[in-house]
Amino acid sequence: MADYTKYTKQEMQAYAIAKSIKENQIVIVGTGLPLIGASLAKAAICPSCHPIVESGLMDCDPVEVPRSVGDDRFMAHCAVQWPNIRFIGFEANEWLHGGDRLIAFIGGAQIDPYGNVNSTCIYGNGDYIKPQTRFTGSGGANGIATYCNTVIMMQHQKRRFMEKIDYITSCGWMDGPGGRERAGLPGNRGPQMVVTDLGIMKFDEDTKRMYLAYYYPFSSPEMVQENTGFEIDVSRAELMEGPSPEIIKLIREQIDPGQAFIKVPKD
Amino acid sequence: MDKVYSLHDAVAKFVESGDCISFGGFTTNRKPYAVVNEILRQGQKDFTVWAGAAGGDWDMMIGEGRVKAYINCYTANSGYTNVSRRFRAAIEKGQLTYEDYSQDVVMLQLHAASLGLPFLPVRLMQGSGLMKYWGISEEQRKTLEKVDDLKCVEIENPFNPGEKVVAVPVPKLDTAVIHVQQASPDGTCIIMGDEFHDVDIAIAARKVIVTCDELVSNEFIRRDPTLTRIFGECVSAVVHCPYGAWPTQCYGYYDNDPNALREYDKASKYLDAEDAKAQLEKAAVKAEKAAEKAPDDAKLAEAAAKARKAADDAAAGVAIPETFKDYLDKWVYSVTDHNDMLNKIGGHRLMSLRNAPHLGYSNTHIK
Repeated sequence: MADYTKYTKQEMQAYAIAKSIKENQIVIVGTGLPLIGASLAKAAICPSCHPIVESGLMDCDPVEVPRSVGDDRFMAHCAVQWPNIRFIGFEANEWLHGGDRLIAFIGGAQIDPYGNVNSTCIYGNGDYIKPQTRFTGSGGANGIATYCNTVIMMQHQKRRFMEKIDYITSCGWMDGPGGRERAGLPGNRGPQMVVTDLGIMKFDEDTKRMYLAYYYPFSSPEMVQENTGFEIDVSRAELMEGPSPEIIKLIREQIDPGQAFIKVPKD
Repeated sequence: MDKVYSLHDAVAKFVESGDCISFGGFTTNRKPYAVVNEILRQGQKDFTVWAGAAGGDWDMMIGEGRVKAYINCYTANSGYTNVSRRFRAAIEKGQLTYEDYSQDVVMLQLHAASLGLPFLPVRLMQGSGLMKYWGISEEQRKTLEKVDDLKCVEIENPFNPGEKVVAVPVPKLDTAVIHVQQASPDGTCIIMGDEFHDVDIAIAARKVIVTCDELVSNEFIRRDPTLTRIFGECVSAVVHCPYGAWPTQCYGYYDNDPNALREYDKASKYLDAEDAKAQLEKAAVKAEKAAEKAPDDAKLAEAAAKARKAADDAAAGVAIPETFKDYLDKWVYSVTDHNDMLNKIGGHRLMSLRNAPHLGYSNTHIK
């Protein structure tokens, strides 16, 4: 008899993602944990949401977990197969019309206190032209962070949470209040939270700096500060309860049975 | 007019060294690999590339030194390789002339090219490194014939004074290469599933090669014009290439080949045998140092011994892992043409990739 009372950090993270999705929201997902979280939301927590992907596939309802945003598993069983330019136009027009239905999940290698994200390169001893570690590049993340409210997915490590990041691929609140407007970005959009394997961070309404909003049953405010490379306010932190055994069973048996993105512990 | 060519003749006639070129498809979906492989065999090089969401297609070209300037927005075989490895190695070694835009901007630029626009204003990239840093400097750009002199310019919206927008250049494509499900001899194409930027580049480019899984008659392809996506007069050559997108997906026809994508993931880690030896030696030294620091850790000791054996076996030539060059020899250079490659992949393996009609993908992948 499988034990669904214990869960992994990743399962907690997927659950936290699912909980962050609201009724009728249009959810921009990538692959990996956001997809598992969105699938969980669709299946059990918030069935009225509409997952879409940046390649232009709208209202996706994959039967099998897709490997990439252009995967035929997304393409089959979606409502509309748009080319990418329509997706861009859709997110821009949602902003132009004053709509507020979109929420997007993006990830990165480095993040600063204002939610600016780097997914381009780590300089090391080099620079942008010849970096120590090069990643894929922006993909759709820059445009998404321009026009949509975002939830940022990160691994919570000191070397990733930095006061100053090497390169801004996706803009957050820039350097604080008014920063987005000064850069020419929509000011009424921006990162809403950061979901990590240790907790959920939000951004202070006045300073736009990151603070700890929730920690998990297996983490603590101290752990979050220890693993954050800048001063982070943990005074407002509350405990977020873990997922129920029914939710864990759903993730393991229905949503990701092949363990494409969430590995189930052996014992 | 009959535009049907052999793969060899189409590539020989319409792909020239120095071309400004774009491939259709999306990372691991409907990528025109049959032509990629044929270009590798024929030797064309010095491409200025508008890559779009790229994967192994451009990674192979970069690894083989065929790229002069690479306009990037994303390069990975998503789900198999997080960052394409020859692309990554070339940048980290300072061997690739490249520029970054966001994917949104590249897709809009290619669309603007299809519309014949002189330049494109966008409300994207502002405040980010994508505007702040130029991969190719203005001076260097002026020496590159097919690269625009400027990456982007912040301008004021003339219709909304005070609003800052970003002007970006519009690609001037010599060549587009796309793979489609069905085409007819007159060049008309049916694309099933997401068209990505394929229609845009087919209109924008001066020379267009289409490979197709099925070559159907000019009469048959227009039986339902709601299905056709590309006007035949945009197309220079039509090549019948079953499984022409292998090892990537082709909606309604076949799924990606996980075995090939995993093989490429592993092999592309090492450029060649010398690189494999050097990297394995470096890994062994690193593992040994870690083990020395923690003498009581049995797991680290075991890992160090394993890494040492792999490095020594490679150095002695006993066991060198498959490399990027080996992969290309196996799947590109040692086969005479596309059909020869299909025979090498094998009937059962190809059949297992065929889509289950009720799913839209394959559920009989070789796991």
